[in-house]
Amino acid sequence: MTAIPLWVRRPAGERVGWLRTVDHKEIGVLYIGMGIAFFALGGVEALLLRAQLATPEARLLDPETFNQAFTVHGVTMIFLAIVPLLVGFANYLVPLMIGAPDVAFPRLNALSFWLSLIGGIVLYFSFLAGGAPDTGWFSYAPLSERAFAPGTGVDYYILGLAVNGAGTIIGAINLAVTILLMRCPGMSISRVPLFVWMTLVTSVLILGAYPAFTAALVMLFVDRQLGGHFFDPSGGGQVVLWQHLFWFFGHPEVYIMILPAMGMISEVIPVFSRKPIFGYAFVAGSSVAIAFLSFSVWAHHMFAVGLGDTENAIFSATSMLIAIPTGVKIFNWIATMVGGRLRMTTAMLFAVGFIAMFVIGGLSGVSLAVVPIDLAVTDSYYVVAHLHYVLFGGTMLGIFAGTYYWFPKMTGRLLSEVLGRWHFWTTFVGFNLTFLPQHWLGAVGMPRRVFTYAASTGWGPLNLVSTIGAATLAVAMVIFFVNVVRSLRSGEIAGDDPWDAFTLEWSTTSPPPPENFASIPTVTGRRPLWDRKHPESRDAR
Amino acid sequence: MIAVRPAVVTNRTLLGVAIFIGSEAIFFIAIVLAYVAYRDAGLATARATLDIGRTAIFSVALFGSSGTMVIAARAESGRWLAATILLGAIFLVGQGSEYARLLSEGIGPGSALFGTTFFTLTGLHGLHVLAGLVALTALLTARRRRPRALAAVAWEAVSMYWHFVDAVWVVVFSVVYLGTVL
Amino acid sequence: MRPPADAIGTLSLIVGVIALLIFIGVEGALVYAIWRYRASRLVAGEAAAFEGNRRLEIAWTAAPALILAVVFVLTLGTMAEINGAGVAPAMRIEAIGHQWWWEFSYGGVKTANELHIPVDTPVDLEVTSADVIHTFWVPELGPKKDMLPGVTNRLRLLARRAGSYDGQCAEFCGIEHAWMRIRVVAESQSDFDAWLRTQTQPRATIETKAEPIFLANICVNCHTIRGTAAAGTAGPDLTHVGARATIGAGVLLNGVGRMRAWLADPQRYKPGALMPSVPLSDADLDALAAYLVSLK
Repeated sequence: MTAIPLWVRRPAGERVGWLRTVDHKEIGVLYIGMGIAFFALGGVEALLLRAQLATPEARLLDPETFNQAFTVHGVTMIFLAIVPLLVGFANYLVPLMIGAPDVAFPRLNALSFWLSLIGGIVLYFSFLAGGAPDTGWFSYAPLSERAFAPGTGVDYYILGLAVNGAGTIIGAINLAVTILLMRCPGMSISRVPLFVWMTLVTSVLILGAYPAFTAALVMLFVDRQLGGHFFDPSGGGQVVLWQHLFWFFGHPEVYIMILPAMGMISEVIPVFSRKPIFGYAFVAGSSVAIAFLSFSVWAHHMFAVGLGDTENAIFSATSMLIAIPTGVKIFNWIATMVGGRLRMTTAMLFAVGFIAMFVIGGLSGVSLAVVPIDLAVTDSYYVVAHLHYVLFGGTMLGIFAGTYYWFPKMTGRLLSEVLGRWHFWTTFVGFNLTFLPQHWLGAVGMPRRVFTYAASTGWGPLNLVSTIGAATLAVAMVIFFVNVVRSLRSGEIAGDDPWDAFTLEWSTTSPPPPENFASIPTVTGRRPLWDRKHPESRDAR
Repeated sequence: MIAVRPAVVTNRTLLGVAIFIGSEAIFFIAIVLAYVAYRDAGLATARATLDIGRTAIFSVALFGSSGTMVIAARAESGRWLAATILLGAIFLVGQGSEYARLLSEGIGPGSALFGTTFFTLTGLHGLHVLAGLVALTALLTARRRRPRALAAVAWEAVSMYWHFVDAVWVVVFSVVYLGTVL
Repeated sequence: MRPPADAIGTLSLIVGVIALLIFIGVEGALVYAIWRYRASRLVAGEAAAFEGNRRLEIAWTAAPALILAVVFVLTLGTMAEINGAGVAPAMRIEAIGHQWWWEFSYGGVKTANELHIPVDTPVDLEVTSADVIHTFWVPELGPKKDMLPGVTNRLRLLARRAGSYDGQCAEFCGIEHAWMRIRVVAESQSDFDAWLRTQTQPRATIETKAEPIFLANICVNCHTIRGTAAAGTAGPDLTHVGARATIGAGVLLNGVGRMRAWLADPQRYKPGALMPSVPLSDADLDALAAYLVSLK
């Protein structure tokens, strides 16, 4: 058996190679590969941070190294790991799910991947070129201005993220046009799989949010390199302008990171409950509501800035409002399971884990919409706990669910369920050990982004527990990596439809042929494969 | 002549360009908002240094180029396309001379808040005009060298972008120049 | 007026209880669904095909909305309360954040890193920054407030209990953000008055041996000791540094030995701090440390 899998079957002589491919499936794999590689780097950075914080007043990392590590950790996980992983899955799956032969602009698709990757490489090059950025992933002005960050780190941040962002914007245009104009006959927009819905909404969010961040980066560049005063009070500028622009992008960014993962589990849960999703319209509609509302909540990251009680109250209201469409999805998923016949495969375990952890992350998030509570715990480890519960407990567990579910489609082989269970439970325990104590640490006064803390604070024991959790997570990742490598080599052959699933990607071979389908299908409902297999009990819509 | 005009809502290329324009619009809105937020602080300098009349003349060139573009696209005419490029280039030259004048008076991106916001906003617009000129030239070249490979949608697509760049200038001119007399 | 920390505590309790109930309910439903509908414990056959229930979906959208509406009203009330609505401050203190220390000014009388306030007295802290964004945060005393350059924000403090309250900067402000700690001492009105009286005086002792060492070195570029020629403002005011519980914004406890170690090599304890290491002889260091600690 060849060690490197043939992701896309082609007649001999037709392969163009990874560097020149314009096939959405191969580009999807490239994105996923990029995401995995940067996730590993970001994970190493996290382990370094946790090692330094395990005991009070430790001297494992000097403050400058620590500050670079947490800055790059944040940028890596968000822009170079999570977004590429999600875009990768979207790239791979969306044309298959809508019965299309590829995305709308295959060459632009390749361009968007290479731009995303080059942006990441530019950022990491900074380590070799005088130091990585060290002003935090949100790089507040004026700390990020030349006067206080004289090295080139922030300049690499600007350049790397501008290039990476351009790639993401182009990718979003591609996915949006694909979903809007390339659905197969019969597939109205109200019949597309929920993962496709979420991808469409996410694309709209990217197109609304990323340009605002690009504008902020341009302004910071003008300040740093051309002597400008956008964020310089001594020149008439206001430091708060950066925060407004950044969070106008930053808040939709977190929905960009969660919606596709919600889309993934909206595919996994129905299949392993043997039932259609409960309330398709509500789940789809709620994502549209989230998209609108996400542009109205940004200043809940700025409650302590002193904007004023009226402004704070408005953003508090919109932030509570957005919790509603976000939260009701949970009821839809549970209702899907009620009355079903649940198969607790590893994919289903991770999907259920997503729900369980997202409830916690969602509740801590809503508590942060309560201004006085936020004023107590913002900028502390409580927020670190919250964000990891939604982005790791939520998004990453969702991505793992998607991985165990779609790996067979992409590679033709199943991942090991035995190793999968070990992976899940080690992750679950490690994750909660790492981040649950951080809620308490924040509440009793431990701020974010501190390279150490005084022994007299008494924060040592919980920090140690958190570090042990991080080490456990590292073990879980190793288990996963072993699972992937072994399954690529000698995993059980999957066949076209190993899960007895509902949507079009399972109606073609594993892996699919270059043109995806032998002939473009026609659909009459939301679960075309179910309809094909059970013509006597077709879906009504 | 084009028998059936490709439509934005059904043609992939046009929809893609339209969405791209939407994202660029958000980008410009952010820069304009920053300008507006800082407008009062820089108003005195703006009033003293901006030359509305001269800039208006160069703006007419840009607005006129939208008109020539409409004619060019409808007729797929090389001549009108060349006229569009020429008018666009005149606009850029005018901008360049305005920049030269301001810099010689000591007003640059680093000098004062007005300088920062003015040069950033108009500079970014100028870069977009330049990109548009490149696209127009590519269209002209393709029309001459490989006319049969050129899809009808290409005219429409480049037109949309060019009109967008023009529309942004309407906003920028109003906010920056006309804003000094309001 | 209730201390802001208490008001926040009450609201947190209410929100916490609501969150706990929701948590138990939702996680319970999840666990129940997994247990009850596992394929392994069900008889053969496909599942029921119900796909939606409009009324149920409306109900479970309306219920959270209602709960949040109630929470929002409580939020508004607490917001007004912690800002000291309707309660005028008895005193105003200026607080300026620096990389990486705190400057406090009582109507022009300057001190650093340790803030004294009288108990049972509503105090308004007027906060700003001399460089980057900092955040004043003493959790037991109330909410945090950002300190922005070019802007003055206001933070209401009220301590009901005398004692020491610790906090630290909560906005990442550069290399030594972690060691920008604050100590607030709340004391009786008479103790506070005595403290402020002392702070207002120039330096306590007339010292002839160590003072010239201070004045002859670059110390004077950054530090003020009122009553001497030293009038630098880039670093903390040292007129009464001996009375403070810590030095280096909390990185070390005060005392002659630690003061000496700090003077010998501040970069060892706070690498990146803007205070350079000044080469001084052992004798000079001994004298200087004793002198500074004596400035009570």
